[in-house]
Amino acid sequence: MTTHGGFEPVFCTVVPPHVLDRLARNDDPALSGPARRTILRDSELRALRQVNTEYGLLAAPAAKAPSDQPLRTIYDAEHGTSLPGTEVRAEGQDPGRDATVNRAYSGLGATFDLYLKGYRRHSIDGDGLALDATVHYDEGYNNAFWNGEQMVFGDGDGEIFVDFTNSIDVIGHELTHGVTQYTANLTYNGQPGALNESMSDVFGSLIKQYSLGQTAAEADWLIGAGLLAPAVTGTALRSMKAPGTAYDDDVLGKDPQPATMDEYVRTGRDNGGVHINSGIPNHAFYLAATALGGYAWEKAGQIWYDVLTGGELGERAFFTDFAKLTVKAARERFGSGGEELQAVEKAWEQVGVRIL
Amino acid sequence: MRIQVSRTGGFAGIERRAEVDTTGRPDAPEWHALAEQAVTAGRGAPSAGVPDGFSYEITVDGRTVYAADPRLTPEQRELISRVLKEGA
Ligand SMILES: [Zn+2]
Repeated sequence: MTTHGGFEPVFCTVVPPHVLDRLARNDDPALSGPARRTILRDSELRALRQVNTEYGLLAAPAAKAPSDQPLRTIYDAEHGTSLPGTEVRAEGQDPGRDATVNRAYSGLGATFDLYLKGYRRHSIDGDGLALDATVHYDEGYNNAFWNGEQMVFGDGDGEIFVDFTNSIDVIGHELTHGVTQYTANLTYNGQPGALNESMSDVFGSLIKQYSLGQTAAEADWLIGAGLLAPAVTGTALRSMKAPGTAYDDDVLGKDPQPATMDEYVRTGRDNGGVHINSGIPNHAFYLAATALGGYAWEKAGQIWYDVLTGGELGERAFFTDFAKLTVKAARERFGSGGEELQAVEKAWEQVGVRIL
Repeated sequence: MRIQVSRTGGFAGIERRAEVDTTGRPDAPEWHALAEQAVTAGRGAPSAGVPDGFSYEITVDGRTVYAADPRLTPEQRELISRVLKEGA
């Protein structure tokens, strides 16, 4: 393209189209060139304007920052299985008589709080996504899950499990599946699946610790404490402090979680043991957090969060890939001479995950 | 007819299995109809399902199909819950 001493003549749109058209056909490139470029530019602008009109972009204000307040809605499945069910509590409404609804509502709030205040994350997608949960799903339903869009909680059968909203870490666990889905999107199978499960346990536990104001030394490091019916011999569903010791019961069997790679369980069940082998990264987090002391969400939690959301963790990451990234994140955030780096390296070494 | 159900996964990751033999049962025709519908709607291979969702294996007279929460047909849901409740 020729330049004219830095000045590029462009015919504005005030030049009538038929004149521009004639100029564009002129034999003199000094006249036809700018005219042609003007026609091209105008057609591009027209196309852009059309796109903007069609998608309502012109009318939209400049990108709005997401709110620092959650947007929660609790639904009641009334013991059926269609989702989401009947709306029973919207954001800002006072507590009602149903304790399950109230627990779900405040559990969502506590989760939103830790992500916002601990990590400046606005909701699970980082952009203020509305938080929806359905309670009283099915009859005596012994489970809680994340369906890709919302949380679902059963009441438990009363024999093995009670209401799944009883444990705040279960609520945090389910919502963290949403965070993972929007970030590293770890495949829910085998080692990446166990990492996905471990992220949910780690941040589920941190949400409980944050809402109770507990330090790493004060925390129980249990997942699902208060979920087992009184007749069951056990304290919780999983223990990050001592994987494999949460329950040992006639009906339920024994907690199958390993704490180290030596005991890694190879199985095709449970999506390749995602709820079993998560014990290994869970325990590594516990070791790093307790070695560092203080509030676990501030240092160990920050490092884990950096890896989960940093964009380098692959969807099919193995324990060792994750471990390496935590070492890198510890160094980047807290420096190479810091106790954080040492604590993280030692934690992985203790559970037998190689980072070399 | 031998109907076996195994449930894996779930938040707790605890496995459950049970079976019902309908031989000689007065309600056998009802079980057969339910089992047939549940199997017809099943998948030939396990699918990933949703995080913490239960996965099910339904085996009727040696033929196995797979299903996962929350996408169960009403018949699958009914059969699974009856087998896990009544079966041994
Ligand atoms: Zn989970």
